[in-house]
Amino acid sequence: MAKKKTKSNFEQDLSRLEEISRKLEEDNLELEEAIAMFEEGVKLSKSCLKTLREADLKITELKGELKKFVNAEED
Amino acid sequence: MTNETQILTVSELTIEIRRTLEESFQQVSVIGEISNFKSHISGHWYFSLKDADAVINCTMWKGFNQYVFFTPQDGMKVILNGKITVYPPRGSYQLDIRSMKPAGLGELQEAFEKLKKKLEAEGLFDEKFRKPIPIFPKKIGIVTAIDGAAFRDLVSVAKRRYPLVELVIAPARVQGSGAAESIVNSIKLLNNLGNVDVIIVGRGGGSIEDLWAFNEEIVARAIFKSKVPVISGVGHEVDFTIADYVADLRAPTPSVAMELATPDVIEIDNFINEFLSKSSRIIEEHIIEKEENILSILRSYGFRIPLDLIIRNTQQIDIAINRILQGIERFSLIYDKKISILSKSLDSYNIQRVLKRGFVLVKQNSKFVTRAAKFNKEKKATLNFYDGEIITP
Repeated sequence: MAKKKTKSNFEQDLSRLEEISRKLEEDNLELEEAIAMFEEGVKLSKSCLKTLREADLKITELKGELKKFVNAEED
Repeated sequence: MTNETQILTVSELTIEIRRTLEESFQQVSVIGEISNFKSHISGHWYFSLKDADAVINCTMWKGFNQYVFFTPQDGMKVILNGKITVYPPRGSYQLDIRSMKPAGLGELQEAFEKLKKKLEAEGLFDEKFRKPIPIFPKKIGIVTAIDGAAFRDLVSVAKRRYPLVELVIAPARVQGSGAAESIVNSIKLLNNLGNVDVIIVGRGGGSIEDLWAFNEEIVARAIFKSKVPVISGVGHEVDFTIADYVADLRAPTPSVAMELATPDVIEIDNFINEFLSKSSRIIEEHIIEKEENILSILRSYGFRIPLDLIIRNTQQIDIAINRILQGIERFSLIYDKKISILSKSLDSYNIQRVLKRGFVLVKQNSKFVTRAAKFNKEKKATLNFYDGEIITP
């Protein structure tokens, strides 16, 4: 169950991007800080867009697992 | 037939009764209300059918009751079809049922309302139990028939909206006999996997009988017990099932269920592109602002004083440099003259002038012979005069 809490890299990158976007708009950053954030944001954007473009829906069917599970439930 | 004087044993009498009853009622249809319904662990059903004035015991074996699409409830009016059987050890008779159907659609509606009220009273529909649906699921569990239209819709919506996700399919029967149990098992299995982020339970549209599995108590309880959030998407917009009430989120159709379970890649894409253009504009503005700050400081009076000093001093330096350059020029003229005198005197040492005076250079083996001792009489010698070269002998 602990595994459930972990976010995907994509989700982490995206939420970091949102954070950067928010901070950049807050307008009280030093220029160096803003540029560093901007650079990080551009890197994250590229990796997120790449992930989006390369994504391919994965489908897993639980056939055997279901049979095993039903048998175990009936025992 | 028997007459009054004949004395029968209990068994003989019972056999007679049994034959009479079983022959007369081989195939009867009867309408009545269910009471004391029990589903035995063996899978057989036992209950009574009654009306205002009479009651009859009923059994329905597993082999037949598995074709009943709903689970009977006490008070439900049903039409049964079967035969009368007699059980001699107890001296009892019963209705052995082959098929069962609700006396009308109203019966199902009533059963629906009854179950809804019961579960509501237990708190199964309480807002506080609703689990939040994750925004970026990694794995979406699907409970539906794999050959159904709902499944195709679910896949195509997932592909379009969020192809980053993995669909984990736990196929289930979604109508007819055993559908409710099948749905329950699939929900439980997906929970057991431990890594499914959200479960969609659903099926396409159909009649109330088709959708009935989603109105069964065991399905409602399985959804309620699920640790993974459940989205229901059953039938069409107008169809409300018990599953919808107990689910963490109700979607009007399976397609909408998938839409609710996934973020849209187009929106994410737009967000990223907006970020890129907006943030580069912010940085640009930042830089322009700083540039202007620097320029305005440079233009300020305080900064102009040292600048003026520099400009004044620069002029003086330029004048000084010019003077130095003029000095150098003068010097170089003097030196030029000296050099030409010197080069003339050097000229007098020129070898040609010496030859012109009548001296000769002697070479043997392309080397100058400067002493008589080194002269080889046997060999050729080259004599360089002022006006030409002679080779001897």
